[in-house]
Amino acid sequence: MKRFVLAVATLAAFHVSAMETQVLPASTFTFDFAYLSTSLDKQWSGTGKALPLVEESRRYEPGAGLQGILRANPKAQLDVMLIQALYGITDRLTAAVYVPIVMHSRVTTNLSWEPGDYQSQLGRKYSEDDFWGWASSLGQPRVPKVWEAGVRLADIVLGARYLLPETEWMSKNNFRWSATLQVALPTGANFDPEAAVSVGTNLWELHAAGDVEAHVSADKHFFVDEFGVYRVNLGVDLYYAFFRPREYLSGHGLINPLLNNNAFYVGDKYIVDGGDWLAGTVSVDVVPFLGPTRASIVSGGKLERANALPGMLTLSLSYTRVQTFQSDWKSDSPLWDYDREKFWQPGSKNIVKATATVSLLRVGVPIQLYARYQSGDLIPGAYTRPANVFTAGVRLVAKFW
Amino acid sequence: MTLAKPLCSLLLATALAACGPLKKPPTREAIEVRGSAYDRGLSHGTQLRSKVRSFYTTLLTNSLFPYLSREQPDIASFLPEYAAERYQNGNFAYELLLDSAKNIERSLNRATREELQGVADGSGMSYDQILVLNTFFDTVLAVRGVALAIRLARAPLVRSVEFVGADTDGVDNDNDGQIDEAGEGHFEPYIPELYGMAVEVQPAAAFRLVLTEVDGVDPATVRIFLNNELFTQDSPEMSLVELSPTELQVTLTPSTPLAAALTTTLVIGAGDKKLITVPLPARESFMRDEEIAFTTRGAGLNRRDVRRPPLTDGRTRPPPIAIGARGSMTVGGAPYIAHHFSLLDANTAYKHTVAIRHVPETGPAFVTVGWAGMVYGLSGMSDRGVGYACDPADTLDNSVVGSVLAQVADLSKAKLLARGLPIGFLGRKILEQATDAASARDVIANAERAYGWTCVLGDRSGGLEAIEVDSDIFTDGTKGTFPITTSELDVTGRRYAGTSDDDFVLGSNFVKNVPDITTLLLAGQRIIPQRQWSGFFYRSRRAVDGVKGRIEAGKGRIDAPFLEQLIADPQFVDQSDSMNAVVLDFANLEVRSAMGQVPATAGPFEVTEVRP
Repeated sequence: MKRFVLAVATLAAFHVSAMETQVLPASTFTFDFAYLSTSLDKQWSGTGKALPLVEESRRYEPGAGLQGILRANPKAQLDVMLIQALYGITDRLTAAVYVPIVMHSRVTTNLSWEPGDYQSQLGRKYSEDDFWGWASSLGQPRVPKVWEAGVRLADIVLGARYLLPETEWMSKNNFRWSATLQVALPTGANFDPEAAVSVGTNLWELHAAGDVEAHVSADKHFFVDEFGVYRVNLGVDLYYAFFRPREYLSGHGLINPLLNNNAFYVGDKYIVDGGDWLAGTVSVDVVPFLGPTRASIVSGGKLERANALPGMLTLSLSYTRVQTFQSDWKSDSPLWDYDREKFWQPGSKNIVKATATVSLLRVGVPIQLYARYQSGDLIPGAYTRPANVFTAGVRLVAKFW
Repeated sequence: MTLAKPLCSLLLATALAACGPLKKPPTREAIEVRGSAYDRGLSHGTQLRSKVRSFYTTLLTNSLFPYLSREQPDIASFLPEYAAERYQNGNFAYELLLDSAKNIERSLNRATREELQGVADGSGMSYDQILVLNTFFDTVLAVRGVALAIRLARAPLVRSVEFVGADTDGVDNDNDGQIDEAGEGHFEPYIPELYGMAVEVQPAAAFRLVLTEVDGVDPATVRIFLNNELFTQDSPEMSLVELSPTELQVTLTPSTPLAAALTTTLVIGAGDKKLITVPLPARESFMRDEEIAFTTRGAGLNRRDVRRPPLTDGRTRPPPIAIGARGSMTVGGAPYIAHHFSLLDANTAYKHTVAIRHVPETGPAFVTVGWAGMVYGLSGMSDRGVGYACDPADTLDNSVVGSVLAQVADLSKAKLLARGLPIGFLGRKILEQATDAASARDVIANAERAYGWTCVLGDRSGGLEAIEVDSDIFTDGTKGTFPITTSELDVTGRRYAGTSDDDFVLGSNFVKNVPDITTLLLAGQRIIPQRQWSGFFYRSRRAVDGVKGRIEAGKGRIDAPFLEQLIADPQFVDQSDSMNAVVLDFANLEVRSAMGQVPATAGPFEVTEVRP
């Protein structure tokens, strides 16, 4: 019987700025508070076919054939609070810390049952209730219809972005480029090896970002006014995400003897070396409305500076293609490893994001509001799990000079 | 973190196929082990370390142990020792199997024990675990037999079967040489038949049954299946009358007559009125489906010649079968044994299949076809050109029942203990010692057996033997040994197990060892012959009859591909518990096996040369 461990692609990308190369002016802070509502109910096959997140489980009565096929079509929903703090060390170098907190997790298992062979000792085929009755006689509790968990910390990420020097041509043509490095701290949790249903909060299980990511990004502004504010921006971001090997504990069947009893042959511990990513994003940002502008505390009382602040409304659309590499399970049982690795073969995910950002900086309020919808299943991928994410956030800007 | 991953990823970045596709680990292995018994065991355990461990865990710990533990309440009600502390908290199955394994160990020779120790050392498991892994087949079958007999004792029985009007139809329906004698067509007590029960029955005849059970027979559970049509309490063709609180008379009068010259089966099923709720799921006690084969007017067959047709009610699965062929039956007269073994795959055994070629320091090389951690298979061949294939034959004349009999004076301390040799170890002995089919048969005949089995034995010179065995717990003079030759006829004049002097077809039931045990009461439990309780009985009869037809049709054309195709035919394949399929090609000293998937024959047959 398969346990219902779910990896939930959730956070996709931390930065909320419109441009790919966004950095903060020196001595400027931003504090970003975002609420993410994520849902996941499928995984892609190698051919882009949507499959349930959990493989069907064929249950057998020893010597009496197939009891039936237990299927789960789970849906996982996570509510995440993402707190980001960024600081402009110089006008070209910005440091950041991202703190994702999973506020609430909920998995609806959606179990179903297909009867198997006739069971002479019962005088009928096993129904789903018969099966769980049988399982309970062996000490196996029924898998809950709904599993929920409370507040848990995910992996904290530290980042730094450096705006690379521009050549004269770049400056003349409103072109800029940057390099970004992100490193995750192992503050998230693994799934519970004894639980029938469980969701971990580390970056591998969330499949949200790499443990280490190296980005090279570029932006090209169009329709730039005399204050340097663009109306249209085209951006490109290329990155490599590296996952470190993670150690997991095997199940001893302490709570679910029929579900989670594999330590004897898998080993007490095993390693998951998650497949790295190679990814690219193209984005377009449009500023349809610059808005009124006034000198304020945000602009240091200078109208000229206020005119250089971002437009009041920015609409962004981006497409990210993530190429994932083979993930390796390393336990004492190659057969068991394969049963996991087959769902994590080299594959891809396609993420489409639409963002609307309202910036009140130009009118003297140091706040930006944004909302985003990220679709992971608009374009099928392969051997990945597409999450859909709605994000709403507020960013406070503070500068000390 | 190794360098391989980033390098691979880097390559993938430029050429996505660079690292190749994920490779599935083999679900069938072929290994060779050499040297002393210990060395071979050590090599086996080392090469298949992870599979030995996962096979033990997934088949025994996660499947069989829990399954057997469900029988604990029934068995403890009969043998109170199993309510003791040692058998509580989920330890019942392991401790019970270990008790028997230790008892069986006394019959193992030193070399076998050393080989088991080698497997244990190689796999990192304990000797006791490997011992249990190598003895559980026979022990579980015996314990399961006891549990099933206890369970069926609570279920309805068919007291009588009547073909209404058979005593006035002007035909000898029971082949007793008399026409319409008093009681013709009325079978009481009802005793399951290997062949047909009645012949030349009037197509419009009604069928009347009396079912009996101390808790009463629930009319709502009565189920008659005739000629692909299901009849229940609500069917207008059915009439159910409770003759007494413990007896139910069922009369089926088909609304349309059956076809003439038809060979068909009447299937009877029913449950009692007492709901059992521990252990779950809740259920009544159901009898085994009883299958009564008969013919209608015009078929022109004697009872002994009736072959059971396939049954299509979706409630039955084909059993293990073994086939031997030679001489006039085969291409060039070459000898073969074909075997499709099915018992309990449990969605895991197929991942652990292995063909092992042994090259001992002395004696012949040989190949066994089995599972990781088990030092034997249910089939195999030596480079002397001697081979075997064995299938279980349920019997209460087994060593576990024998152990209870030996302790019957004080059942409060009695335990279920297997003794003697499991058939797999006898198979190993055949491969190590036998020089031909006859001496292979004698290896089995002269040993103390733990359970009931039927075996087909062959050799390179065309020797073909079969034998049925049980544990002879009553020392009834048979020694529990029933050798069969291809030409041997039973009392009705029918061949026991074949279609000619050059073939055998055996299922998982006895054809010569009938009855295998005397009916008696033991501590309130009914001890009855195989054909009255075994779930393999009717399906074996049906499968064997089906195979016989195919063998006859293929006479003179039988070779390895023919047999591979035959034992892969869905009519003879258990889609859930098929474990391996083997063709022994004696002339070429080849073991051809399909395994590693369910059913085993869903994959190709692969050849293992017996000679290194």
